[in-house]
Amino acid sequence: MTVPEAQVDAALRPRVVEVMTEVIARLSERDGPVTEDMDLADELGLSSSMGLELLLEVEERLGVQIDVEKMRTDELRTVGLLATFIAAHCRPA
Amino acid sequence: MIPIVTALDAVSVYTPAVRVPIESLAEPLGLTDIQVRLFRRFHGLGEISLDPERSLADLLRAAIDGLGSLRGREHLVRYVVYGRAMPVVVPYPANPLHEVCREAGLGHALAFTVTHQSCAGGLLALESAGRLLEADPDPDALALVLTGEKAFTRDARLLPGTSIFGEGASAALVSTHGPRDRLLSFSCAQRGEFDTEFGESAERFQREYRPFLAEVIRDAVGAAGLALDDIALVLPHNVNVVTWQRLCLLMDFPVERVLLSNVPVNGHLFCSDAFANYATARERGLLREGDRYLVAAVGAGAGATFSAMVFQH
Repeated sequence: MTVPEAQVDAALRPRVVEVMTEVIARLSERDGPVTEDMDLADELGLSSSMGLELLLEVEERLGVQIDVEKMRTDELRTVGLLATFIAAHCRPA
Repeated sequence: MIPIVTALDAVSVYTPAVRVPIESLAEPLGLTDIQVRLFRRFHGLGEISLDPERSLADLLRAAIDGLGSLRGREHLVRYVVYGRAMPVVVPYPANPLHEVCREAGLGHALAFTVTHQSCAGGLLALESAGRLLEADPDPDALALVLTGEKAFTRDARLLPGTSIFGEGASAALVSTHGPRDRLLSFSCAQRGEFDTEFGESAERFQREYRPFLAEVIRDAVGAAGLALDDIALVLPHNVNVVTWQRLCLLMDFPVERVLLSNVPVNGHLFCSDAFANYATARERGLLREGDRYLVAAVGAGAGATFSAMVFQH
């Protein structure tokens, strides 16, 4: 899914990436760095239930609510794509 | 000649008045705080319908008692088909189905239970009842389709990371000529490879669940001679909200047309969701004459069953 740049909250996105990489490292029990180009399922081993846990932590730590009903998970395969989606599709909680 | 169809003549649903917030189920079900928060935030669960004081027979009895149009027509009921997720629910030789049939004046009917399709068993029961009636020489013969279940063990109460089961029951009177809610099509796909007891297929099942269900839904809609956009309302299984949100995105179908309002108040009522959601749709006037609607269910456990039916109201 292509997210128009204009809709992305540019200030929020780096904070989303920061929280995501930290949470993913913990959930995937990974020692090495988590980067934006990494595939969430195939490289990082995130199951769909871990994916929901990731979203919940992003929401709670950043005080936002993500529009999950618009989230096409099959198209948001990498850390970076998911961060862009979140920064474009959330509102203050 | 009146065409032979499978028609829902009347539906009665019973859910216990007791509602338990999911937070208070954390300890008995062994859920962590984050698992509970996930259930509430994404799965749409809120309260679960439970009544430890009522037995399985009590649940079935309450559903049958609510079926006013059965009164005086008991002698026409040839078949009682009970769709149930759990294969074994009482110790032998107890049989709550036969017990409630005798009490309801249905002791003469051929009564049996269909299982092994887990939560899709309710639709199997309905379809089986239709086929039995179709083969019956008496055009006035009726069938009673029952669902109902107790969430009586941890396995029966929790689908980890997916849903929490509640208790309830339904009774549906089925005929071959009723004018209301006629079955237009039924599609069912069984996937034996998704056996949670003997396979390591849980992650693959999660990945393929929605595409499989979408395929069965499209099959049922196509078999009814319709397009997805012709479906006025979807009566889902109440597995959770996020599954249906994502399924709707996959099918390009508006999630607003899926009746999900019972998920936060009941939880997942095993095979009874379809009937409970039908009753809610009727109560709220969501079905107009002529509307085509879809009922969907998935049964998972020892293999998986994906089922969908299209009806015309």
